[in-house]
Amino acid sequence: MKIIDRLTKIDRRIIYLILIVVVALPLIVPSVEKVRVMAPVEKLFNAIENIPEEKALIIDFDYAPQTAPELDPMGFALLRHVFKTRVKLIVISLYVQPLGLAQKALTEVIEEYNSEAQTHEDSIVYGRDYVFLGWVPPPIIPILGMGESITNVYQVDYYGNRTDTLELMRSIKNYNDVGLLISLSGGNPPKWWVQFAQSKFGLPIGAGVTAVSASEFYPYLQSGQFSGLMIGMKGAAEYEEIIERELNIKRERKASEALPSLTYAHLVIIVFIVIGNIGYLIKRRSK
Amino acid sequence: MKKGLPLILVFICGILGIIQYFAPHPVVQDTDNFFRNNLLKILAAFALVLGLGSLLKVHMDKIKRKRENWQYSWVLIIVFIITSIIGLFGGVTGEGPLPTRIGSFSFDNQTIYDNVIVPLGSTMFALLAFFMASAAYRAFRARSTEATLLLASAFIVMLGVLPLGDRISPHLPSFAQWIMDVPNVAGQRGILIGVAFGILATALKIILGIERSWLGGGGE
Repeated sequence: MKIIDRLTKIDRRIIYLILIVVVALPLIVPSVEKVRVMAPVEKLFNAIENIPEEKALIIDFDYAPQTAPELDPMGFALLRHVFKTRVKLIVISLYVQPLGLAQKALTEVIEEYNSEAQTHEDSIVYGRDYVFLGWVPPPIIPILGMGESITNVYQVDYYGNRTDTLELMRSIKNYNDVGLLISLSGGNPPKWWVQFAQSKFGLPIGAGVTAVSASEFYPYLQSGQFSGLMIGMKGAAEYEEIIERELNIKRERKASEALPSLTYAHLVIIVFIVIGNIGYLIKRRSK
Repeated sequence: MKKGLPLILVFICGILGIIQYFAPHPVVQDTDNFFRNNLLKILAAFALVLGLGSLLKVHMDKIKRKRENWQYSWVLIIVFIITSIIGLFGGVTGEGPLPTRIGSFSFDNQTIYDNVIVPLGSTMFALLAFFMASAAYRAFRARSTEATLLLASAFIVMLGVLPLGDRISPHLPSFAQWIMDVPNVAGQRGILIGVAFGILATALKIILGIERSWLGGGGE
């Protein structure tokens, strides 16, 4: 009986200790976990590939540091894809918190490309290849306002330059010139883009979301309102996999390296749930 | 007048917000554009100032009355002032007129963000993993048929979304995907439709002045 009691009353510090060991060890000795690319991620990849040359892609960075481990690798993988295929890029954020993360991702990925570029043409140039428009509150203003005029909503960019003076913004006026918008978020913004920008202006939307919120977004994917969807760390790892396979982009794969930690953490949780239930069922029968 | 004017404004704005989806007439569309692109921006700017002012007022008051944990309010106010000055005059990465570097020590907005906000935010969220593991162990019990079904589908989805699931059986990820695509979507759609009707009913009640609690002082 003592053993059964122990099974149902394991000290939470033991659970914490085991969890920290299984999460930390694979991160200390990283290895890349290969994944099978599922249909929602492949759809998103194809949606970017099919953006017409004259149209732009908007990436909406809408995640805070809390959800960055899941969503940051998505942002990095998307930026690498976009800069490799030279899709015109507009980066925005609906909130103030994600600005720093967007800036960091842009700086790191652009540095990767520009350190290998031979000429000015090969380099990623601000204003010509991409713009970072920053943040205009509240979220509903950019979501609806960009349908009429992007430069009217964002009159200056994140760095204080007038947007109508930027080369890229001369050809990108409003949503008619945007081929796809991808919202990377740990909350509701992907839904808002569908509700307001897609329903009113027909803007194609893709999304990258956290695993915990994913179930809410499946209806939008199934109905075709989302052109593609990345879910959690696994979704990011799938995107890293597809850009390596299709475009030969061989860079650091943060999500793929973090997957073993996630796997072991899931297994530990499953094992503890099973242990708890065994103890519970034996106890119930003995009563 | 105190209540009549807000009610009239809400009625006009609410009706305009609806009819712009149904009336393509230029007058309606232009008015809607003006509301969205100009008026809303000005209102948002006022709300921002009001919000910051209110935040400072609450914490000043807390310090003045020496309420519980009043010392932390000083932290908030001092950090608020310092980061505002750095943000306004130092630029994002130190390109503003205010110097944001002493030797190799930088304190521009981006550096503060990378070294303070990011670790603090990540730490708070990382703690959740431990609580979730502990709570799942204690509370996730097969007490009934429904709870057992929930438990089984949770195991399938947890394993199916991992590369390990593919190794156990190539059918496991597909089965996990089916759970998310079919039973999950069926439930989510029900919730979505219910919420949408709720929003519609509440919005109509507010626009028509039936629901007045937002004015303050009850629903009279």
